[in-house]
Parts: sequence; C-alpha cells; structure tokens
Amino acid sequence: MTALARLQAEFRAWMQQAPVAPPDRRTSVEVPGEAIAPDALRARVLDTRKADREILLGVYREAYALRLIEALQTDYPGLLALVGPDDFDTMARAYIAAHPSHHPSVRWFGRDVAAFLAATPPFSDTPAAAEMARFEWALGEAFDAADAEPLTFDDVVALPPDAWTTLRLSFVPSLRRLTLRHQVPQAWLQRDSCEPGDLDVPPAVDPDNPVGRPGVEWLIWRTAPDADTQFRSTEADEAWMLDAARGGMAFPDLCDGLSAFAPAGEETTEAWAAQRAAGLLRAWVDAGCIVAADAT
Amino acid sequence: MPHAVRRNSATAVADGLGFGLGLRHQHYQEIADAPGKVDWFEALSENYMAPGGRPLYWLDRLRRDYPVVLHGVSLSIGAVDPLDMSYLAALKALAQRVEPRWMSDHLCFTGHAGVNLHDLLPLPYTEEALAHVVERVQRVQDFLGRRMLLENVSSYVRYSDSQLSEWDFLVAVAERADCDILLDVNNIYVSAFNHEFDARAYLAAIPPARVRQIHLAGHLNCGTHIIDTHDHPVIDNVWSLYGEAIRRFGMVPTMIERDDNIPPYAELLAELDHARHVAAQALSAPAEVAA
Repeated sequence: MTALARLQAEFRAWMQQAPVAPPDRRTSVEVPGEAIAPDALRARVLDTRKADREILLGVYREAYALRLIEALQTDYPGLLALVGPDDFDTMARAYIAAHPSHHPSVRWFGRDVAAFLAATPPFSDTPAAAEMARFEWALGEAFDAADAEPLTFDDVVALPPDAWTTLRLSFVPSLRRLTLRHQVPQAWLQRDSCEPGDLDVPPAVDPDNPVGRPGVEWLIWRTAPDADTQFRSTEADEAWMLDAARGGMAFPDLCDGLSAFAPAGEETTEAWAAQRAAGLLRAWVDAGCIVAADAT
Repeated sequence: MPHAVRRNSATAVADGLGFGLGLRHQHYQEIADAPGKVDWFEALSENYMAPGGRPLYWLDRLRRDYPVVLHGVSLSIGAVDPLDMSYLAALKALAQRVEPRWMSDHLCFTGHAGVNLHDLLPLPYTEEALAHVVERVQRVQDFLGRRMLLENVSSYVRYSDSQLSEWDFLVAVAERADCDILLDVNNIYVSAFNHEFDARAYLAAIPPARVRQIHLAGHLNCGTHIIDTHDHPVIDNVWSLYGEAIRRFGMVPTMIERDDNIPPYAELLAELDHARHVAAQALSAPAEVAA
C-alpha cells in the first residue's frame, strides 16, 4: 500500500469508528493484507500551538456523524416526529455504522433505513417506524423521479374504438404503490403539529389478524416537474389493476381480472368490471398518473 | 512563467461574470420574482443529478435568465479509489443540459474503499499525492472535454508527511495538470488561522492567470481553531483578505456561499453588494484596501 493509500485508509478508519461506537466498541478497518487501527491517523497529524490533534481530528469525526444524521432528518421528518430526537439519533448512528454511504450524493444515503429498521432490534419492535421510513423514502423518490407529460382525458377519448382491445397503459415514473399496516400517511400530515416523539401512528388494520387484510394500499405520485407529490389510499381492486397494468396487461384482461372483485350479489360481473375499469382509468388520467395508452 | 500571460484581455472580459450567489432552493421563487439582482449563480452539481423534479425544473428555468457555473463536492480528485466514471458521466450529462460557464470541485479526497465520507478531506502535500492528483485531473478534463477549476479547501489538520506548502501544492497541480483555480478566500483565512501561516503569502504565491473564480463565506471561530461552516456572514478579516485578492488577481468572478442557517434572499443580496463595494475599493485604491 502506498503512503497516500495508507493515509486515506487511516482517515476512513478514524471517521467511521468514533461517531457511532464508544471507545470500547471500536474496531479496525480491514484493507487488503492488514487491519488499520481506528486511531492510527493520530500519529501522522500535528498538534498546533493552539489545539491538540485530538480536537482537530474530532472536527472531522463529529461533522461526519452530524452531516449524515442531518441528511436522515431531512429525508425522514415523520420518523423523527414519531420516535423523537434521542431515539432518532441512536437509530441514525446505528444506521451510519451498518450502512456507510456508497453514493457520491448524500441524497441516496438513507435508502436502506426502512429495511434496517424492520430487521434490526430494538427498532424492529416498533413496526410503524419502518413503515413510516418506507413511506417517506417513496415520497422522496417521487419528488425527483423522471418527469413525464401526463395523458389528458381528451387523449383517451380520441383513441379509436378498436384500440381498446389491445390497449396497454404506461404510468408516470414517479408512481409508487405501498401497502401499509399503520395509519402512516395520515400521521405524516400531522408531523409538524406535535412535539417530536409525540406523533401517534395507530394501526390501520387489525394487528392481531394479519391474514384478514395485509394492509391498506396507497398510491404516491407526482405530475408536473414542479408539482407537489400526492398520495391517496386505494381499494384492493384498484391496487390489483394498477399492478397488473404496470406489468403490461392489456385493458380487456384488466377488465377480466377485475371481475374477481365484483361485490357479492352482483349478477353481471363483466359489466361491473368494465365499468369499474373505466372508472379507475378515468381517475388515473384525471390525477395525471398515465403518460401513454398504446394500442400496439 | 508562460501561464502568466495565458489569459488575454478578451478572455478576462468573457469571464467577467461579476458577482454571484450559491443557488439554494429556499430562494428559487424570490430569484424568479426579482430578476437582475445577481449576475450569476453557482449550482451544486450533486443537487441536480436527479432524474427530474423540482430542483431541475428550477435550474432549467433560472438558467434561461442567468449564467450558471457548476460546483461539485464528490469528484474526490485526490482519492486512491478509481475515478467514479458513473458519477463523471452524470456530471457530463448535467453539463450538457445546463451549459455552465465552468465546472469546479475541490482539491481533496472525499472517501476511501467505496465509502463516501461526505467531507472535503485534506491531502498530504507530497510528491506522491501531487503526481496522483495531476494524472487524475488530466483524465477528468479529457473526459469532460473542458478545463476544471479546483478549489482550495479549509482544513483542520496538517500531516507530518507533507513536504510542500498548501499553496505550492495547489499551484503545482494547476500548472502540471493545466487546470484553473477556484480560490476560496475564506478557506485561506480558515486554514491560515488553523495552521498558522500567512494568508497574504498564500495569495502572493498564486499565479493570477489561473484564478477564474473566488468564493467567500462565513465560518465558526472556536478560539483554538476555525470551522468552515458556511452558516454566518463573511467576517471583516475575510473582506480585507478579499480586497487583497482582488488587488492581486483583478476583478475575478466572486460569489458568496451559504449552506446552513440560510438567511432571507435580501440579506444575501446586501452581503453581495458589500462584496461589490470591497472589490471596487480595492480596484480604485490599490494601495489601501478597506473592508
């Protein structure tokens, strides 16, 4: 290893240990062929007349943690409102240790928070926290997803009648669909109206009966480049049709599939399904979710 | 030195952007509502490397009315990791969209072994580091098809390994790689305080023909050291040093960076007016530079 490479490995070791682990839990950084001790960098840094090297190196170490925590606070205000600043700080430092940033932009640093919270005790004891993180990350993805010009209702009306037999829909790139077992979006809207840590996120479905209903389906999307991100809940049939349409299923097959959701007692399920499919399509067009309807 | 006459007067005029600000989302609407108060904007490249959405919308919109330069924080030009070609490809694509007057990043490293530490970490000022950086700057410039500006960073530590002064290292990189310099006057002040060198000797070592942009910013003085926080107004001592810089380098395009504790737009405009005043004074009374 060259001198320059060794210095940089030592700097990483210094930065990665202290902000997230107390001294007795610091570990070395492994580089090919050897382990770099967490405090090795100290030996090559000079004291000044005014400050000890420990203080000067500490500027970098503290800034590393604070910068990443701040990035997570920006991405996850609802999670902060839910768990409060102390628990958020603990969670963030644990996340920093488990998921160092591998992207040039700090924008993507928090991408694994939901999975981390769902899988890591004690955070996994609060399932609403992971759901809040999943929801907020999806909002962020929708915020700067690729732009697209949505289809208008007039575009759909202008389709020739025979197009409907092979019609396939394309959606705005920002569209996300989530299934949530807690009232996360409702709580998220209240994130600034309570003291941090006091945000209440009640269950949305019976927590003792996971088989009965897996959760409430939600859509997230953005239309114009400068538009606010929108979200709303959906029924199970809409969620199914959306997933199938995004998977490339043609419109007549979407109608057939919807028949399975016809309300009990509905005698003409095909007619119900066609009407429901047309209604959902209209709602998606009106919401600016669809960018193309191709009959090829 | 041949570079000293490289920039003729026509180039200087072409570069004469005047006084700019860092483009921050808090001010998008006010910038659009009050055109003409700022001569140009510096956009942080990474903030606009997204597929779409509001940041790019505003950058495109404001770009129609203002010259823009791109300023990155993730090039990691001094890292021993391989150059991140996907980052560079995204940067090049952004440049094709924005058509910036120029592009800059920092003379530092920002990560190691694939881990981005999201900080501007100082290099050791050694011949080894110099050769390493020069080779990488040349490759980046070849890839981007343009000359880069590299900025001097604030630093809090000095390595026992260093063989050169920071300014000799910076100048050697610029000369050998044929890149330009974004001179951060606040960073010179911060590092001079932290490492107890003479900021004016630093300025005196920099060849004027390489300096294409100047940064100004505020900082946090902790008594024993200064941290480059960009969350305060520019202090008087930095204004004074800025006047010295303008006297030496001429009317180099100047901008104020504010990254935290973002004030109302009007406050930054007033601070920018002060920069105009200090620069005008420096140019009209070269023997006496007042803050």
